[in-house]
Amino acid sequence: MRLIIGGAGQGKLSYALRTFQFAPADVAETFSAARTARVFARFHAAVRAALEAGEDPQRLTEKLLEANPDIVILCDEVGCGVIPVQREERVWRETVGRLCCDLAEQAESVERVFCGLPMRLK
Amino acid sequence: MMTLVSGGAGSGKSAYAESLILRSAAAPRVYLATMQPWGEEGRQRVERHRRLRAGKGFFTVEQPLNLTEVELPQDSAVLLEDLSNLTANECFGGAGFARAEEHILKGVDTLRAQAGELVVVTNEIFSDGVTYPPETARYLDILARLNRLLAARADRVVEVAAGIPIFWKGEKP
Repeated sequence: MRLIIGGAGQGKLSYALRTFQFAPADVAETFSAARTARVFARFHAAVRAALEAGEDPQRLTEKLLEANPDIVILCDEVGCGVIPVQREERVWRETVGRLCCDLAEQAESVERVFCGLPMRLK
Repeated sequence: MMTLVSGGAGSGKSAYAESLILRSAAAPRVYLATMQPWGEEGRQRVERHRRLRAGKGFFTVEQPLNLTEVELPQDSAVLLEDLSNLTANECFGGAGFARAEEHILKGVDTLRAQAGELVVVTNEIFSDGVTYPPETARYLDILARLNRLLAARADRVVEVAAGIPIFWKGEKP
């Protein structure tokens, strides 16, 4: 598994498609579709959807990595704002941050994209 | 030579951007200010900054909109501060959302054609995880795209954190 992080709109998906020569059809945006995809884009949004559906995103992530250990996961960095007033928002950004830490630990590589440019963190 | 300098609020990106102009051999030094000063406090702040920069040999041009209209002496050293402000001005009160991106890009190309040294300051405001109202989201989207397009054109892309430059593209000068 490879992890690519960065702020919103920094060009993570086009960087991943270009680098690994994947097609848009290789991209999934939900935990279930990601089981058979090459790229899991907008991981942060899938985590939100899982939380809203009352599911456990950590468990979904573990299951996904068992089924698809070579996937490339793209996730927005969402933790650099003011602490949200709403509890759900706080839980979501914490969960995304912690899952990214777990993913980074297991990942073969971690890259960060900024203004369309990559930097290898691991 | 074109450099894109980014960073969060208070990161030291302005001071770093200014230092790139000060070490450049290009002249004269032009500060392109995009801020529209509101009220007396705003005017005083702008006046103070203008005086500070004059001491460093800059002359200031107020350009809140329409970069394409800027005419500079050939080979000037130009500091454009800043892209996020200019984009907001163009989206909400100038070219409008539909045309802002193209208009600003054209403007920056106009500057590149005239400047010997061009430093563009932008903002890192994309990592807060907040879902904004549609108009703000659209503004952020346009700014993010401009950042990527200018990064692709730039010789150097620098993120400044705690005053320390991080080189995403190009070499330390």
